[in-house]
Amino acid sequence: MSRLADAIVAGEFVVTAELGPPKGTDVAHLLEMAELMRDHVDAINVTDQQSSVMMLGSLTVCHLLHQRGIEPVFQVTCRDRNRIALQSDLLSAAVLGVENVLCLTGDYVTLGDHPDAKPVFDLDSVTLLQAVAALQEGHDLAGKPLQGTPTFFPGAVVSPVARPLGPQIAKMEKKVLAGARFFQTQAVYDPAAFESFIRQVEYLQVPILVGIILLKSAGMARFMNRNVAGVTVPDALIEEIGRVPPPERPAKSVEIGARLIREMKDMCQGVHIMTLGWEKYVPQLLDQADVERNRRTD
Amino acid sequence: MIITAQKELDEILHMLEGYERIFLIGCGICAATWSTGGEKEVRQMAAWLTEAGKECTGAIVTEEATCDMRTTRLLLKRNREAVEAAEALLVLSCGAGVQTVASLLDLPVYPALDTLFLARLQSMRVCDERCRLCGSCMLAETAAICPIALCPKGLMNGPCGGYEDGKCEVNRERDCAWVAIYERMERFGQRSQFMTIHAPKDWRDDIHPGWVDKRRSAQSKGVAK
Repeated sequence: MSRLADAIVAGEFVVTAELGPPKGTDVAHLLEMAELMRDHVDAINVTDQQSSVMMLGSLTVCHLLHQRGIEPVFQVTCRDRNRIALQSDLLSAAVLGVENVLCLTGDYVTLGDHPDAKPVFDLDSVTLLQAVAALQEGHDLAGKPLQGTPTFFPGAVVSPVARPLGPQIAKMEKKVLAGARFFQTQAVYDPAAFESFIRQVEYLQVPILVGIILLKSAGMARFMNRNVAGVTVPDALIEEIGRVPPPERPAKSVEIGARLIREMKDMCQGVHIMTLGWEKYVPQLLDQADVERNRRTD
Repeated sequence: MIITAQKELDEILHMLEGYERIFLIGCGICAATWSTGGEKEVRQMAAWLTEAGKECTGAIVTEEATCDMRTTRLLLKRNREAVEAAEALLVLSCGAGVQTVASLLDLPVYPALDTLFLARLQSMRVCDERCRLCGSCMLAETAAICPIALCPKGLMNGPCGGYEDGKCEVNRERDCAWVAIYERMERFGQRSQFMTIHAPKDWRDDIHPGWVDKRRSAQSKGVAK
């Protein structure tokens, strides 16, 4: 089992963060950010062409992290590859020692920087999870036996404050049925809404890592409210970050983030921090949220 | 109903460059109903072409759908003189109609319309796509709302995380198909049916070109499985 799987199964409070690969081949900054976070997190997700913007591949970066003893989570979307390519990449991941796989649908192509590209979506997040399960059982989606069986720790995502919530929870249940062993959520800024969500999905008995995005400014919060599905930043928080002059914003942002984590940590089994360039504040954030511990295992 | 939209006049004139005498054909079924290839539109197109310096040797609208080879063949025969006087034909129909005409004549044939989709007609001005002709209908399992046609991602197992207030991430003015399916199923007490995991689509049902020969037990679409 992967280290992340061990920690989750052991019932530890788990911390994951996220890194977006660069557009290009220069990975120096990316690796620097990974090193900055390594002792503080259990694993680092590597995004797969996030927001449909063409980037260096997730699997390559996962491999680089793995080589350095940093636990990667391979994010896989259904947007760009059919079932043949997806299964092949999953096998490649296993051979490279990458076990944690986060299965996502993927944003639509028109949201990104190649809006004229052909969208694939041959599988969806549920059938991608089924593909992971099939490979672990020693055969592919066509039922053909594998020579060498991979081990994975499959996860999925959910949007706890989606409107309406019913279809979101139904889909989450399908993902559990299809083999999802943990969930990372879209960013949550409303602990009360999160609590209500948690009550409604308790029956699924699956570990959930609540999503946190540090609020960099009031403008960013308003942008997310307008443009990011499933993210709602309450007015009070927008005001709180907006009142602070720019030089003091990182400290305020960390304070808000830590408060959110403190308020929600007892409702779930971990936190997933989407850093969006603010990797250096992760140690502070975790410290203030009282969830800091040395997670270095190598 | 097949929905079509007229191409820009500049594009049409560019296609017809070098041809002076043009014969026009409109479609009496879909294009006539959607006002892209009926009597009025064909007359208007003839007037534009004349204004642009072309000569229209004739202009007809097929009584049946232009894609019905039998009736279109007869009509072309009845208008043989005017058709043969033309150097090229311009067809105001869907792509199937254009190709039906082209298959019946040894003359250059051009499309005046772009073919958009198979739609539900809400009014004479509003329509929306309802069927992708995918070859294996799953409407029985999705409360008669098609996610292949109505979800831009064609998802088979529920909504993605991109919907907001029940609207689609790709176009916030459009309803999320899977939210609509979920709500309709809930009304019918079918939540358990929503939980069925649908296998990935078998794309052999959607291999093109499709064809049917009822005289033989031939595949209508795709290949033998």
